[in-house]
Amino acid sequence: MDTLLSPQLLIAALVLAAIYALIALGLNLIYGTMRLLNVAHGEIMMLAGYVSYWAFVRLGIGPLVSMIAAMLIAAILGALCYLTIFRAVVRNRQLAARLESNSLLIFFGISIIVQNILSIAFSADPRSYSYLDAIIPVFGARVELNRLVVLAIGALATAACVIFFRYSRLGLAIRALIQQRDAASLIGIDAEKINLLVFSLGFAMAGLAGSLIGMTSAISPFGGFPYTISAFIVIILGGLGNLAGGLLGAAVLAFVEIYGVAATSSAYRSILVYGLFIVILLIRPQGLLGRRAA
Amino acid sequence: MSKKTLIETILAVVGVVFLAFAPWFVGAYWLGVLLQLMSWIALTQSWVAFSGLSGYVSLAQAVFYGLGAYVMAVLWQQAPIWQVLLLAGVAATILAVVIGYPALRVRGPYFVILTLGLSEFVKYIVVAIEAATESSGRLLLGTPDPEILYYLLFGLAVIASLLTFWLSRSRWGVGLRAIREDETAAATLGVPVAFLKTGAFALSAFIPGVVGAIWVMRTTYFEPLELFSPALSFSVVTIAIVGGSDQAPGPILGATFIVILSELLWARVPQLYLILLGLLLISFVLFLPRGIYGQISALQSGKRS
Repeated sequence: MDTLLSPQLLIAALVLAAIYALIALGLNLIYGTMRLLNVAHGEIMMLAGYVSYWAFVRLGIGPLVSMIAAMLIAAILGALCYLTIFRAVVRNRQLAARLESNSLLIFFGISIIVQNILSIAFSADPRSYSYLDAIIPVFGARVELNRLVVLAIGALATAACVIFFRYSRLGLAIRALIQQRDAASLIGIDAEKINLLVFSLGFAMAGLAGSLIGMTSAISPFGGFPYTISAFIVIILGGLGNLAGGLLGAAVLAFVEIYGVAATSSAYRSILVYGLFIVILLIRPQGLLGRRAA
Repeated sequence: MSKKTLIETILAVVGVVFLAFAPWFVGAYWLGVLLQLMSWIALTQSWVAFSGLSGYVSLAQAVFYGLGAYVMAVLWQQAPIWQVLLLAGVAATILAVVIGYPALRVRGPYFVILTLGLSEFVKYIVVAIEAATESSGRLLLGTPDPEILYYLLFGLAVIASLLTFWLSRSRWGVGLRAIREDETAAATLGVPVAFLKTGAFALSAFIPGVVGAIWVMRTTYFEPLELFSPALSFSVVTIAIVGGSDQAPGPILGATFIVILSELLWARVPQLYLILLGLLLISFVLFLPRGIYGQISALQSGKRS
């Protein structure tokens, strides 16, 4: 039992929760406003991870700086995706009828393309670098500094998003669009502009998460899929499109994952995670915080 | 019989006769390609029979396939092959009923992700069982010749095609299409939605189970991470979208197209092949949502009028 109470586990769970929260926010934004299921989320993370990796290895620029470039690149990619593909999809009546499955397929196409372009450009080998890996004591536990940095930045970015959605006009407009798409357009919210913004913002968050992941673990062209799956589990736990629910879902999944593995063995990690997901989906398909749709 | 159905019938008969005699005149390499073609046709037809008609996009094909392969690997040389094949199909069907009954209560994106989650769940349970029994991968010795496997898969592809053909014209198929268009309205009109959905889901699981059992005899090696790979489910969906996912000729055209593409590119430039596959998937969803077969049909009916 002693190991379960150690601060090490608590910090590991918090770090994971921060990462999950970031990924889930990005995914939730795009789903919430447009009903699009972005299964290429993990690939965008890996792309951003590569940006930070090369910036560090080739240029000697640390991830704390290059994460801004990574976010920008991801945001531009998101804007391009929206302008070239999804603007037409959302407008097209025939495609919009089965928007969720269609968007899933399109994003799956995008994820295969990104994976293989990464793999051609940088080979399929996993890449990692050591950065800020000094070990410092925290409440008697020995923790790598980079994990604390990830935790701090992840928490900060999540808090910034929460404040943005709560208090800014634009954030309010996005939330209005999530709740009542047609009514929001009626009262003069420019849905197209917001869609574009949401795409860039969602992708940028994936980019930030990817840059952070690269600091503590290896990245590879095909390494994004597990993150996509975890992100989906998180946002379904919280209720699709429910931003606050996503944060709760991130915490639940991260704690179940870390403490579950610590209590059993790492071999059961996936069984635990998917088991939790299935049980929640069958008992409360609307998510932990969601209300049942009318 | 309209001109179109006449042409299609002739093409189908010629195709079946050609494929029935193919092992006599093609070499080992092309037999391998045909084996692949047959298994993709069988897998995609069975997907279309449920997902294409009902609109419930299932990513569970991999779990049925993997379970079938697992049954074969565990029972290898413990029982006659035909019995094990049957058992593999039955096991997949039972799994489909068990997961379908609760899973089919959720719709749209929830169903898609739930089927994916369930597949991964079963995969990791199998991985854990295999790890606990300390058998990292099972080798199957003395598997049947490729020709025998080919005929098994060929038979399955034909059965799967007939199943989709029959289902898409039956009352059942009409009910499933009604569910696809508007499930609440269909239920109000007295369509037994739960029964039709679960039944079609179970029916569409049998064939992938058998295909998995046959395919593991071809690769002669059982490795859960490989055989339960979600990539298989996504490939099936891609083939269905490319070919057309509402009628039996669609998966045949889609599978043929993808297998030819993969033959041309996979060995030489695998990454380019996958990039192209991604582009194709996007373009078909955007511009040709009815797939190759739907497009051909639309062109023909446009000419006639």
